[in-house]
Amino acid sequence: MTDVFEYIQFVLAPQMITGLALGVAVVLVAIGLTIIFGLLDVINMAHGEFYAVGAYVALALGTSGVSFWLLLIIVPLIMIPIGYIVERGLIQRVFNMPDRHVTTLLLTFGLGLVVEEALKVVFGPNTQRPATPIPGAIEVMGIILPTYRLFLIAVGFAIVAAVAIVVNKTRLGALVRAAAFDRNMAASLGVPVSLVFAGTFAFGVALAGLAGVLLAPIYSVFPTMGRDFVFLAFTVVIVGGMGSISGAVVAGLLITQVQAISSLIVSPVWSDPIVFSIMVLVLVVRPQGLFGRLGHA
Amino acid sequence: MMFRIENLHVHYGLSHVIQGISIEARPGEIVGIFGRNGVGKTTLMKTIAGWVGPSGGEISLDGTRLDGLAPDRICRHGVGFVPEDRRIFPGLSVEENLKLGLMQRSGRSRAEEKAEIDLIYDRMPRLAERRRQAGTTLSGGEQQMLAMARVMVGRPQLALIDEPSEGLAPMIVADIFAIIKEMKASGAIVLLVEQNVNGALAVADRFYAIERGAVVLAGDAKDSADKARLMDAIAV
Repeated sequence: MTDVFEYIQFVLAPQMITGLALGVAVVLVAIGLTIIFGLLDVINMAHGEFYAVGAYVALALGTSGVSFWLLLIIVPLIMIPIGYIVERGLIQRVFNMPDRHVTTLLLTFGLGLVVEEALKVVFGPNTQRPATPIPGAIEVMGIILPTYRLFLIAVGFAIVAAVAIVVNKTRLGALVRAAAFDRNMAASLGVPVSLVFAGTFAFGVALAGLAGVLLAPIYSVFPTMGRDFVFLAFTVVIVGGMGSISGAVVAGLLITQVQAISSLIVSPVWSDPIVFSIMVLVLVVRPQGLFGRLGHA
Repeated sequence: MMFRIENLHVHYGLSHVIQGISIEARPGEIVGIFGRNGVGKTTLMKTIAGWVGPSGGEISLDGTRLDGLAPDRICRHGVGFVPEDRRIFPGLSVEENLKLGLMQRSGRSRAEEKAEIDLIYDRMPRLAERRRQAGTTLSGGEQQMLAMARVMVGRPQLALIDEPSEGLAPMIVADIFAIIKEMKASGAIVLLVEQNVNGALAVADRFYAIERGAVVLAGDAKDSADKARLMDAIAV
């Protein structure tokens, strides 16, 4: 019996908390991705690179003395105009083409490559790791937990809750949900749909940038960090339901727990194939994902 | 204020759906648009609302050209649209659907907006009872009421109403037509597409009959001879 408790205390619980921190991190990246998909019907393949840009901007500003706490505000504010310009200048130009899905997917894929290569040129190919803003660890019931990971979990939940409140409980959110469901009808009621589209895309990009600031101290900063992380975020979005905020949260936490716990049972190298198999299974059995789309009942 | 369509043409690919329609309407007038299925009535409404781009001709309200504008800009010029399939937003409550309608007119205070919503609730108490419910949980008649109310809160100068009685019980249809008459009484122009020709003629002032994308008859809705010609023209 003591062995079981010790296993839970020293192996399972720390692993689950590490998985929870990763889950919150993935949700932060996935939530912007899913909002953009739910509203614009655009699979933003450059989303990971926006996450990387956020991390690099934070790194550059942090190196020049800007405090981490200020970066949590400044970086999303810098990302908003970037997202707005990308939506207005690129996405909207091809948005009304008959093969929109393929075109926007390829366009954002190309944009992602451009950004990734530009990051290599400007910042170099090497991995950089910003200092942990909240060093140290605390002990809870005999389990040692890194303070920054606990902070990340708390802040992540707060951000997700704030986004859910804005989308589901405010008039601005109602505009977004209406435009996501039926852009023509929303427009005929006076909703400035193109502004809502650009604003929501910019908001999604800002969330990706904010995730970059928050996750850089844990996962480090390197030019391909976006590509690596966004695969997991895409899995979360697909499993949760493309366009569903609650789906992204549930799937993000579920999948990262599967990843964390499975690596205790089988070799950790199998955790990624297991997770991506869940995505394939969901696509076959329930292609719409676990939850409905943004703006749909 | 005058609503005018001149020589309007609309193509869907190679299909010439609207072939030179010209119509006009004045404030406080209900104008019926009749015709068999597939003659272009709904396309005409969608074109006025900006959902479909015209390939030729002009649409104007009070001298302002509407053709070629985006639907939200057309709406802000005073055009409200109640489409055939109601298009209630399923993820939004009844009240959220109504409040969205307030976007049609800017510059109103919160108190004025609340008063506008309260007026709707007084007129349609079923919506007040169900204000927190999702719009799509309402019955067909209630959804039609909500679709009309959503446009009414914007107090449009021109209301485009497409097949409002479709699939509804006679008592509800009577209420819908009563609301349309109230819109007319408020000074709005109402363009009414309706398969229930007799019901629509009872509230309309004038009508146009459309056949193969063109106006084949225009007449007075209260004139017996015109009504008889209409029945012949649309063969109902």
